[in-house]
Amino acid sequence: MRFEKEIEILNSKEKVWAFLWDVDRFITCVPGCKEAKTVEAGKSYTAMMVEKVGPFRVEFPMGIEVLESQAMSHIKAQASGSDSRVGSRLKVEIDVRMKEEGEKTHLSLGVTVDILGKLATLGHSIIKRKADLVMEEFAQAIKNRLEGVS
Amino acid sequence: MLKRFRLEEPESVKDASDFLARHGESARVYAGGTELLLVMKEGLIQYERLINIKNIAGLDEVKLDDGVIHLGALATHCKLASSTLLQERLPAFVRMEKNVANIRVREVGTLGGNLSFAEPHADPGTVLMVLGAKLVAGKSSSRREIPVEKFFVDAYETCLEADEILTGIRVPLLPSHSAVAYLKFGYLERPSVGVALFLAVDGGGKSIADARIAVGCVGPAPKRIEEAESLLKGKGFDEASRLISKAGEIAGDASQAISDLHGSQDYKEHIVQVLLKRAFHQAYGQCQPGGKGQGGLHG
Repeated sequence: MRFEKEIEILNSKEKVWAFLWDVDRFITCVPGCKEAKTVEAGKSYTAMMVEKVGPFRVEFPMGIEVLESQAMSHIKAQASGSDSRVGSRLKVEIDVRMKEEGEKTHLSLGVTVDILGKLATLGHSIIKRKADLVMEEFAQAIKNRLEGVS
Repeated sequence: MLKRFRLEEPESVKDASDFLARHGESARVYAGGTELLLVMKEGLIQYERLINIKNIAGLDEVKLDDGVIHLGALATHCKLASSTLLQERLPAFVRMEKNVANIRVREVGTLGGNLSFAEPHADPGTVLMVLGAKLVAGKSSSRREIPVEKFFVDAYETCLEADEILTGIRVPLLPSHSAVAYLKFGYLERPSVGVALFLAVDGGGKSIADARIAVGCVGPAPKRIEEAESLLKGKGFDEASRLISKAGEIAGDASQAISDLHGSQDYKEHIVQVLLKRAFHQAYGQCQPGGKGQGGLHG
């Protein structure tokens, strides 16, 4: 499943870039992310993703690798993890591009999500809807944090 | 394979509700089990306790009660499909029940279980929505009625409180010169699109006195589309016939269709439009004086 999202943030490119690398602040914007740790700054991280659809609950301990990064311009990362309890695997590829437009910074997110295993039996549409909601909440949260709304 | 769980067998709604209150998310109500046991076998969900409510007397009744049809939550799809009362009063509902899933599911699956599990690709919620049904939820100390429109919150989510149990469904009798049509489309066992329409015509059968439209299976939960309804209400047949495509377009747009293996969003929206048009002509024909109407014959 491929998702794309454009976010306009009323803040400088430098501030946005710094925020993206501030793990503790950044994960507060990622719905379902319960904890994250830096393994090697700028290269490798771990995080626990917890999501719920109705009575279904999944927990994915994720390993995140930064594949490419160019200061103030783009980040490409890959995350993957398994929930052995429900026998499912989650793989996410994230491509973040940013550019400054006057007083605003424009973030373009391209996210590819693959879910394998029993969780997929819940139905593609339900998973897609959940992922859409997560993207929307993330976009709103990051905007709020960087624009000082909350 | 199913993991071990404890089976509780309360004999009253109060006892069942008390079990739910005591055990919280580690317990779940078990009725037909056709959906619940599947996901438990798959290991997608585990409960320490299942609360079997099938021993609670009177929850499977189908009866006419003070001018309202009462469907017990534990009535199976087969029982509903073969009910003489429903065949007479709600033939569209019976037709829908006859086509729920497959014979194995219809034999043990219950209407209450179907609604409470809130699987998005299910038929009954959509039809009950246009029938103006209310769902009866009970717990230890109280009982409330919930309009179907407010019952479904999201995929697999209802507005039932943690210790509430769906005990029945109350369906008002159809008025004179009215009919319901439910059409669905799908190439897998679960439908991809379901469209329900309630139509009432005036005494002479020339204009649309009332209309209710609901779309299901395309998105997270069935949805009533009042904006499309208002386009038809009060219109003469010819004008309503011209507007039905527009109403279908509105219904498709508002249905929250999601692209998936059953079809793209655009495709599903288009099918909504096609099915609504067919449902309109079917229902209009049935609710004419002398037609094979439901309310027309028995309202």
